[in-house]
Amino acid sequence: MSDGLILLFSVLVFPGGLFALALGLLIKGVDRRVAARLQRRVGPPLLQPVFDLIKLSRKETMIPAQSSAAIFRWAPLAGFSCMVLAAAMIPINGVYRPSPELGDLLTLFYLLAVPAVVLMLAGSASGSPFGAIGFSREMSIMLAYEGPVLLALLSVAIRVGVGEGHLISLSLTEIVQYQRVHGPFILDPWMWPAMLTFLCFFPANLGVLPFDIPEAETEVLEGPLLEYSGPSLGLFKMMSAVKCVVVLGLGITLFLPNGPDGVLGLLLFAVKCTVLAVLGVTVVRTGMGRMRIDQAFRFFLKWPLALGIASLAIMLARS
Amino acid sequence: MNAQIPSLLSRLSTKSPWLYRINAGSCNGCDVELATTAIIPRYDVERLGCQYCGSPKHADIVLITGPLTVRVKDKVLRLYQEIPDPKVTVAVGVCPISGGVFRDSYAIAGPLDQYIPIDVNVPGCPPRPQAIIEGIAKAIAVWQTRI
Repeated sequence: MSDGLILLFSVLVFPGGLFALALGLLIKGVDRRVAARLQRRVGPPLLQPVFDLIKLSRKETMIPAQSSAAIFRWAPLAGFSCMVLAAAMIPINGVYRPSPELGDLLTLFYLLAVPAVVLMLAGSASGSPFGAIGFSREMSIMLAYEGPVLLALLSVAIRVGVGEGHLISLSLTEIVQYQRVHGPFILDPWMWPAMLTFLCFFPANLGVLPFDIPEAETEVLEGPLLEYSGPSLGLFKMMSAVKCVVVLGLGITLFLPNGPDGVLGLLLFAVKCTVLAVLGVTVVRTGMGRMRIDQAFRFFLKWPLALGIASLAIMLARS
Repeated sequence: MNAQIPSLLSRLSTKSPWLYRINAGSCNGCDVELATTAIIPRYDVERLGCQYCGSPKHADIVLITGPLTVRVKDKVLRLYQEIPDPKVTVAVGVCPISGGVFRDSYAIAGPLDQYIPIDVNVPGCPPRPQAIIEGIAKAIAVWQTRI
């Protein structure tokens, strides 16, 4: 019974749910502020994403007449709840160890695909032609980045698995434990191809420049989100904030989970997430323009895929 | 105490006005001013929490430029219906008020306030960026009484 309660707490309050949402909104705020400073603007206050959410909760929800109302209404909630569940699967070194019942690396990988699927559903259910274009672009870019990232995840899993004496280790706790003993993978040059692949995955999965092609507001008017208004748009914003924490947290788990125990470890985790977000997302998005969908597709099937295959080959050769 | 929470929420909400631009047959002068007002570093309105949005369904403050030509009238009215309440309308430039240099033309259906309620007028041909920012700030004050 108490195990179930602890599981529920870890999904709804810490580190999923409330904690992930708060950290995600803070990271979004830092991202907007730093982006503004890089463009020599003043920028919005740090809590701007929170203000946006409060505002959206007080607006009217409009459901377009030509939409499939049930899918249109429930898609954002499904996406948000899947991301909250995924946030509970990210271990924080010395603070939190996810229960094995929640799933392993592969479960997390599938959960990470849910927001993209939800956006596709939302786009096609909205009945708007821009939503349909967003749907097709979201699908192409997802097909392009999933493969290379899976290769990067597998090379980490094989590296840890071989080190621990079995073929492959898909447990995130084991990956953290291995790096605690043998040093973080970020210091090992043989792991750098996998890390670079993962860095390319950040902007594509989080939907920011140069890969915000499905939601390009100047081309397809925010694509799948075009018809959403008020609280349901807020749910999408919450989903993307939690997704931010999940993706950044996964990167930290795979390559640099080391840190002290207790409150300091938690603070360090938040700092690492923020620094990674600034370097991996904000600087990239202020420095680049938007790619076309065919360019992005070709990019992912060229460099990240080559790096992913190289990294897997290195791991297999060294085992 | 219970009365204070909604007013606090509405005060926090006004820190996030999202802007949407409608061109009702403008000569593009005011649109250029609008684009530079928000985007160039010198007159950054993102510090007020503003953000241009691509979709009318995300908008809070509508900025309308142009004299409302006959051909574009129905589209503007339909776009206006698509914007969720509570919303505030700002007419930018002298054209929505009087028709400006296009007044008395057979192609003009305006003035705009015969068709949709206008909350703030920002006259000028085109208005200065400072005037537009002041108009947006006044629109936020109007918006606070509605949200």
